[in-house]
Amino acid sequence: MVSLETDIGGLRLSHPTLMGSGCYGSGDEFAPFVDQTAIGAIVLKSVTRLPRLGNPTPRLVRTPAGMLNAIGLQNPGIDWYVERELPKYAGRACPLVGSVAGFSVDDYAYVCERLAADDAIAAVELNISCPNVASEGETFACDPALAAKVVKTARTTTDKPLIVKLSPNVTDIAAVAVEVESAGADALAVINTVRGMGIDVETWRPRLGNVTGGLSGPAIRPIAVLAVYEVARAVTIPIVGQGGIETVTDALEFFLAGAAAVAIGTANFTDPRTPERIANGLRDYLQQRGIASIREIVGKANVGLADAHEYEGDEG
Amino acid sequence: MPAIEYDSRVHVTRVADRRELAPGVILLGLEAPELVRATRPGQFVMAIPPAGESAATALGIYEAEGTRASLLFFITGKRTHELAELRVGEPLGLIGPLGNGFDLSSVPQRAAIVAGGVGIASVLLAAQALVRSGASVELLYGARTSELLVDAERFGEAGCELVLATDDGSRGRHGFVTELLGERPAPDLILACGPTPMLRAVGAIAAELGVPAQLSLEETFACGVGGCWGCVVPLARSSAQAPSFPPASRGGSDVVFARVCKEGPVFRSDELQW
Ligand SMILES: Cc1cc2nc3c(=O)[nH]c(=O)nc-3n(C[C@H](O)[C@H](O)[C@H](O)COP(=O)(O)OP(=O)(O)OC[C@H]3O[C@@H](n4cnc5c(N)ncnc54)[C@H](O)[C@@H]3O)c2cc1C
Ligand SMILES: Cc1cc2nc3c(=O)[nH]c(=O)nc-3n(C[C@H](O)[C@H](O)[C@H](O)COP(=O)(O)O)c2cc1C
Ligand code: FES
Repeated sequence: MVSLETDIGGLRLSHPTLMGSGCYGSGDEFAPFVDQTAIGAIVLKSVTRLPRLGNPTPRLVRTPAGMLNAIGLQNPGIDWYVERELPKYAGRACPLVGSVAGFSVDDYAYVCERLAADDAIAAVELNISCPNVASEGETFACDPALAAKVVKTARTTTDKPLIVKLSPNVTDIAAVAVEVESAGADALAVINTVRGMGIDVETWRPRLGNVTGGLSGPAIRPIAVLAVYEVARAVTIPIVGQGGIETVTDALEFFLAGAAAVAIGTANFTDPRTPERIANGLRDYLQQRGIASIREIVGKANVGLADAHEYEGDEG
Repeated sequence: MPAIEYDSRVHVTRVADRRELAPGVILLGLEAPELVRATRPGQFVMAIPPAGESAATALGIYEAEGTRASLLFFITGKRTHELAELRVGEPLGLIGPLGNGFDLSSVPQRAAIVAGGVGIASVLLAAQALVRSGASVELLYGARTSELLVDAERFGEAGCELVLATDDGSRGRHGFVTELLGERPAPDLILACGPTPMLRAVGAIAAELGVPAQLSLEETFACGVGGCWGCVVPLARSSAQAPSFPPASRGGSDVVFARVCKEGPVFRSDELQW
């Protein structure tokens, strides 16, 4: 029997398959329709200090090989969330990861503390990379020093595993990762959505109510694989790889690039049985190759950089 | 690969019947006993396209009787094209029934059902239920051309009075179906499903007539089950259907965004703030 168990900075998982924030609700929404035993953890939708109505509609646009979204962090705010939502989530089969979004260092710390104090929450993810709020949202993930400050302050509020979600919308994601690691993060989520826009040629208006949005799905997978690869070479903390994972082959790419676990977002909208499929596929893959544990393949992509460099001169 | 070893509750149905009612309009009959048992009028399913490459798509449950349910759809893009390629005997995964459906708890004497285009797919079960409960039911059905007025006869057989309209005048009234609504004797309940401009017009006419209207909305869905908050519509906070949500910091706090897939797709017209 092969092992799919893994550990994300102290968060122990029976399966290395998480459900990405904002794509799976609290899990209850899907519970009547799918067997959830192959889910390692559910990352809950991001919550902010104050209630947010969210962005005007349309909030979703389908694109080739993916979708654009601009939900705008619609959520009831942390007080209501802790009082009325979290009690409903107690006693779940899989661990729940709370997700925090904010507009100031202080916001992050406050919401992180409130979330982490709740027994229903096994770990906290800091979403410092939401591209869909008019101001600030993403700035935190785009400025290594600011990112470090958010993490350092949030770190003081809890001993529970702290995952930090990075943005691909930067020049050097590894540089941000390094700062976030030294500020005390236990793990990284790589990547959030890629900024994008669509325009309706009939009306000449943007196709999203928020004008711009975040691109997800298979369209961003190569961007995400590269980000995981670069970050994995720069840090030692575990990475939750995500961005366009639909099949076991996609997931394997992320493990080989350096992810210790994967998260599934958009693929869940194609088929909510995706985590089961991927978990079963991983088991088969390891069994066929006589590999005992998923942990053994993490970061094992054979990049052969030395050979590649030899031919550099011939490129042009 | 081993056989699928998990017990998933996605309904795996089989195509029992496939008909092209008009060019680009498909009626898929499905062997789906569990779905039929659970379905209420106005609910929908998320159909999982068989190649597994594109997002699940929302389709109204057209018929539900015995062990058979059916889906009626227009081929408008990739996913409906893929579903249209299904042949008899092939499997189709469905999640559902989803959404709240029409509220038929108080029986009207005279009901008008307004359907525009593909909206027809979501109203047959309601028509049948209303007729069964003793209401007299009028179907006001509009489409672009006579060819696209699909399956109107089915509603006749179900006991509805048919009032038709086409944009090009090729059958029935020449013009919009909503014009008919204003001209007919006022019903005491209006149900409607169709394009958004039609639904807005129905809402306005219903308000003028002082008749309650229930509108089945269409939005772009991702999850279809309430998990992503992508499909929202502004709703009066006082609505019984409003999701539980504190007054938000940003303006208009008497309005809250409700999920079309979860709190809807059917909303009371007078509670929509669109
Ligand atoms: C609750 C609910 C119930 C629904 N029930 C049904 C149903 O029973 N039958 C059904 O056919 N559809 C139904 N729809 C709509 C259906 O989900 C979409 O039309 C379908 O997903 C299109 O998918 P696609 O990939 O084929 O097309 P896409 O690639 O998503 O694109 C469709 C394109 O066609 C345009 N388009 C969409 N609909 C029409 C139309 N009617 N006429 C002209 N252009 C159009 C769109 O603007 C878009 O550009 C329902 C939607 C909802 C939210
Ligand atoms: C509709 C939607 C809503 C999302 N909401 C959030 C969110 O609230 N917080 C967050 O950290 N990420 C959010 N994301 C990003 C996803 O969690 C995920 O990181 C991203 O979509 C890439 O993975 P995917 O291609 O598998 O979807 C959202 C994505 C989508 C598509
Ligand atoms: S489509 Fe996800 S909440 Fe409605």
